[in-house]
Amino acid sequence: MSAPAVELVTVNVDGREVQVPKGTGMIETALAAGVEIPVFCYEPRLGPPVGACRMCLCEVEGMPKLQAACTLTAQDGMELRSAQTSAKAAEGQNAVLEFILLNHPLDCPDCDKGGECPLQDLTFRWGPSNTRMHFPKRTFEKPIPISPTISLDRERCILCYRCTRFSEGVSEDLQLVAAHRGAQSIITTFEEEPYRAHFSGNVTELCPVGALLPSTYRFRARPWEIDNTPTVCGLCPVGCNTWATTREGKVQRILSRNHPEVDDGWLCDKGRFTFDHLRAEDRLREPLVRVRRRGFEAVGYDDAVREVARGLREAGGSVAIAFSGGETVEQASALARLVRQGLGGDAAILPDDLDPAVDAFRAPLSAIRDAEICLVLGDEPVMERAPIVDLWLRAARRAGAEVVTVGPAGSVSTPPGSAAATSAELAGGGGSDELRDAGRRLREASRVAIVWSGDDHDSGRRAATLAASLGLGDGSGLYVLPRSPNGRGVAQAWYEAGEGRGFDPSGEEELGALIVSGDEAAYDPRVAQLAERARFVFATSMFTGDHTLWAHVVAPGTSYLERDGTVVNLEGRAQRQRRVVDPPHLDELELLARVGTELGVPIAPWAAEATVDDHAELAPRAQLEAPPEFAPAASTNGAGPGLELVVYRPLFSGPGVERVESLAFQRPAPEIELAHADAQARGIATGDTVTVGLNGSGRALRAAVRRKLRPGVARIAAEHADGLGSHVEVTKA
Amino acid sequence: MTPSGLHEVLLRHADERDLTKRAEYEAVGGYRALTTALRTDPGELVESLLASGLRGRGGAGFPMGRKASFIPKPDQTPNPIYLTVNADESEPGTFKDRELMLRIPHAVIEGIVITCHAIGAETAFVYLRGEYATEFDVMAAALDEAHEAGYVGPGIAGTDTNVTIVIHRGAGAYICGEETALLESLEGKRGQPRSKPPFPAISGVYASPTLINNVETIATVPTIVGMGGEEYAKLGVENSAGTRLFSLSGNVVKGGNYELELGTPLRELIYDLGGGIPDGRALKAVIPGGSSVPVLTADEVDTALDFDAMAQAGTMLGSGAVIVIDERACMVQLGLRVAQFYMHESCGKCTPCREGTRWMVQILRKLEAGEAEQGELDLLLNVCDRILGNCLCPLGDAAAMPIASYVAKFREEYQRHIDEGGCPFGGESSLEGVVAPVDQHHAHLRGQIEVPIHA
Amino acid sequence: MSPQPLPSLKGFAVTLRQIFRKPITQEYPEYKRPVYPRFRGRHRLNLHDNGLEKCVGCSLCAAACPADCIRVVPAENTPQNRVSPGERYARIYEINMSRCIFCGYCELACPFDAITLGNEYELSEYHRDDQIYTKEMLLAPPIKQVPVADRERYDTPEPVWKTES
Repeated sequence: MSAPAVELVTVNVDGREVQVPKGTGMIETALAAGVEIPVFCYEPRLGPPVGACRMCLCEVEGMPKLQAACTLTAQDGMELRSAQTSAKAAEGQNAVLEFILLNHPLDCPDCDKGGECPLQDLTFRWGPSNTRMHFPKRTFEKPIPISPTISLDRERCILCYRCTRFSEGVSEDLQLVAAHRGAQSIITTFEEEPYRAHFSGNVTELCPVGALLPSTYRFRARPWEIDNTPTVCGLCPVGCNTWATTREGKVQRILSRNHPEVDDGWLCDKGRFTFDHLRAEDRLREPLVRVRRRGFEAVGYDDAVREVARGLREAGGSVAIAFSGGETVEQASALARLVRQGLGGDAAILPDDLDPAVDAFRAPLSAIRDAEICLVLGDEPVMERAPIVDLWLRAARRAGAEVVTVGPAGSVSTPPGSAAATSAELAGGGGSDELRDAGRRLREASRVAIVWSGDDHDSGRRAATLAASLGLGDGSGLYVLPRSPNGRGVAQAWYEAGEGRGFDPSGEEELGALIVSGDEAAYDPRVAQLAERARFVFATSMFTGDHTLWAHVVAPGTSYLERDGTVVNLEGRAQRQRRVVDPPHLDELELLARVGTELGVPIAPWAAEATVDDHAELAPRAQLEAPPEFAPAASTNGAGPGLELVVYRPLFSGPGVERVESLAFQRPAPEIELAHADAQARGIATGDTVTVGLNGSGRALRAAVRRKLRPGVARIAAEHADGLGSHVEVTKA
Repeated sequence: MTPSGLHEVLLRHADERDLTKRAEYEAVGGYRALTTALRTDPGELVESLLASGLRGRGGAGFPMGRKASFIPKPDQTPNPIYLTVNADESEPGTFKDRELMLRIPHAVIEGIVITCHAIGAETAFVYLRGEYATEFDVMAAALDEAHEAGYVGPGIAGTDTNVTIVIHRGAGAYICGEETALLESLEGKRGQPRSKPPFPAISGVYASPTLINNVETIATVPTIVGMGGEEYAKLGVENSAGTRLFSLSGNVVKGGNYELELGTPLRELIYDLGGGIPDGRALKAVIPGGSSVPVLTADEVDTALDFDAMAQAGTMLGSGAVIVIDERACMVQLGLRVAQFYMHESCGKCTPCREGTRWMVQILRKLEAGEAEQGELDLLLNVCDRILGNCLCPLGDAAAMPIASYVAKFREEYQRHIDEGGCPFGGESSLEGVVAPVDQHHAHLRGQIEVPIHA
Repeated sequence: MSPQPLPSLKGFAVTLRQIFRKPITQEYPEYKRPVYPRFRGRHRLNLHDNGLEKCVGCSLCAAACPADCIRVVPAENTPQNRVSPGERYARIYEINMSRCIFCGYCELACPFDAITLGNEYELSEYHRDDQIYTKEMLLAPPIKQVPVADRERYDTPEPVWKTES
């Protein structure tokens, strides 16, 4: 990709000449010249500048009035004088700050933003030291919980419109709006409904004052009492970079840490608010060993290690592991080596097993925004599986890209489970007219982003084949969304510990021992079945659950905030997870090291020194070996009576989220999504209660009619789909 | 024949005939300019507008021809070009656009079609003030008539020009008279001004090139096409060509709209045409261009009504709303009432206007109550000064300029409010006929009094 | 007898002279010497007239403290449990007296005059744990009273920043 020639222009800022590309924003231009222009409303990630706060007033040669620097762009020969050198500009900024402070309550000692507040900082630097306003300030009712996680203080609001611009132009949830006008303007949610959106928490970070604050951090700590640790979120395969704030050894909040290639500084509510699961009541704190007829007994680590080593040794090589996919690479590697090298086992359940061919089309997530055309394949909503990817897709659409979604709710409608077949058709230039058309445009475009969000076991290989056949070059990217946060790293660790894939332990024969690593695996019904056939089960988990019924030894597990190690995200980027707080017990790696000593496998009890930077680089693309051949694919789901059920795993689910009370409102409502035609045929409207099931037996759910959904298909969140088959009948209750 | 001083160009024949009917309008030569214009090259039309020296009648007085020439040609832009007519006439004291729409709606429509042809637009929006209910009915009826006669729609008058006119009714916000806020409102968003650049000529409604003009400006276009740009430029004085509708109101005997040649002295309008001040009271001040322009004192009443003379006198012609204030008025009360209006109408987007107008009202209220302290007058002036020029759109300036001028020109009266601890009029002052008291507005909101919305 | 009797005799003379003088030793704790009115001793947390705590738990004192001996854990006032005016109050307020250097910065930092330093200096304990003063202890009037020198004579005028704000 040849970069277009950039025209450089010379701008004079406060007497300093600086050369920048033409059209660069004046704030950035001034920064390049070493001049800081204070801002409130300006935030380039929110789209075009609005010039609302007037904090950035500057004098521009040839213009009679002061100009808002944020709305100006660099033009050749421009002369800008900021408040540093222009008395007029300084007076203007002082005036703006005086106006902002007129009705801003001086409750800084009460306000959680105090100490890390841009308004405080700028007032200190540019503002008046005394007030000339001796009238009662404007008051509002406060604080108003606009959602269980965010509280709004309208008195403190300086109406910079950052939050509404985020809601309108970034997350596109359109829920935060401004109401009334003039001095009575307020920020509110649409129709005063709770702000329920996947990215709502970001507005608390955007707010330059203490108007929008996370309720979970309310009155928890002051900036000088906290420690911020740079780490990486371990809750979905995106791996957003975060700061974890701790006070007195407890996590108090999670903030985003801008990695421009991964998250652009945004963080979803799951990543932001799930930290409270560390303090869940049902957390395991000691190893538990099953004692005959007495159930579980809490024991010391020495006894637990001995018991585990005994159980594994007695398995005689018939050992299998069930991974969660959330483990660090080091943890997974320790487990894999224990089994494959120490015990002679070769069986594992891997949550993700991507073909390495996808690495030939590796690209940073930010490449999606620059794509000309994006293709999204698969049944799983991208928002629910890797939310940041959805934001990148929206950014691409706003930048003018075409986003083609292929699936049961896509712009190109295909039956559920047909991603593999569709990809073959796209690659071969066949399929419906729409598909052929899309295929043609994909081939013509020079920058393409393909997002694969499905659960087919060979999606990686199929996606790579599709990418190869479409001729994806530099500037294009292929993103296969794994099921689990570190699924790619775990699989890699498993492969490296032995030879090849080994085998999947889902046979019928008896198993010597089963290692269940983590809560996600412990919750998996497949693992529970496997455990029934195992003579010895060793599980690590954070919380008590069903698995405590069938495991023989349970060791307390750690959260991603409590361990050190490497994780590999969906791009294939290795990032460093840091221990933010100490777990209340031994962490898994130390336990495994001790088990390793018993079994003669040397395992380091801690992760090696940081191998990657705080802002991890993406490894270069791998060479594509001969593109794999297409295996003929058929729709996985067959025909059946009633509506075909698509079950997706919602973002706000999993053992961690379920234990966070303040996130309960984000979890999917008990509802079933129906296509418009199906709903009409059954006389169902959104909000109706419907009976879902087969042969008269069924459960009551709320109906949600979706125009985009394919007729004959119904969609439901996994946690409400228990016991429902692949096909259901839906009737109005 | 018109009474002395009047120079009716736009409103000629409007007294004799009902020009809201198409047939009547055609009978006096209406729609003839349209047929000529459609056969003229658009470039020539713009040239003619430039030559006419027609300056925008909305308030800013920007030459219309120049504005039209900023619009890219249809082959230079991938987006459609739009014309937007600003009929959101909300400036206190201004009622000229409603008169034009009520009496010569066809001239407005004719002007729209000609302008559309000149800039290559196929869609025109008329953003009509929400409270103008009768005007809407009249305009809509005229539009229907024009449509039937083939003056609007596809293939106008046998040419391949297509023009669609959409009348959009506002929802009652003064700020939507500001061109970019109008565009936002038109797009269905919150009516708040956009930051410029990009100017509407490049990126206006739906991010497309848009020409925005006032109703009176547009209504003048057929006249210019009819008589030729150069000929029109001979009307009026240098830099202020043509005639204008002045809305005379306040303490005068005969208020109303008067079409005058630009350059006519203010005295002539107030005394000769308006019949002077009732009951022989003395003139105190004149607001020459709507509530947002600086005030003129009685001594300055000989200023000519043209752009340059007004600028020289430190004020503006604005929207041409001449408000006459007699000796009964307390200028502090007037200042308070004007400031209250702008506080109420501030959109809340930019800081100086949102917070500053409220502060101004608070200070003025204190002044009026006689509770102000020495120094607060300077504080008020300083607040005005800090709003002026620091805002996103002209509304902030429009609030600060008049107040600053009241204090500057009637400083003594303001000072007495402080020194004497109350109004020197001792409750005898009256703004009757100048502005509606704020209580009346509130009472109306509460439904306690019925104010006829349209006569 | 020493080889030089004269110096010895001089010494005895001094001793003899002192014997008849009044001793300057003060019998503490029976006698407590008055401290200056501005003497910085044990802290107090103050209340408003209506009984609410002045402290809102903003932690500014903790930030100002050079010895890092103050710990504040705030919480939110509720209608059922209103402790201070405003939204927040100090749920835990602790001063570690064994670390405190009595510099008075906390008093200067406090935006609500909630914490002030009193005159009491008798802060010894048998256990270190007891040196950590809780909010209840700091709110309560001190058990031991200290005599204070005459304010008229020894106190300086109120500082300007206190009288004018």
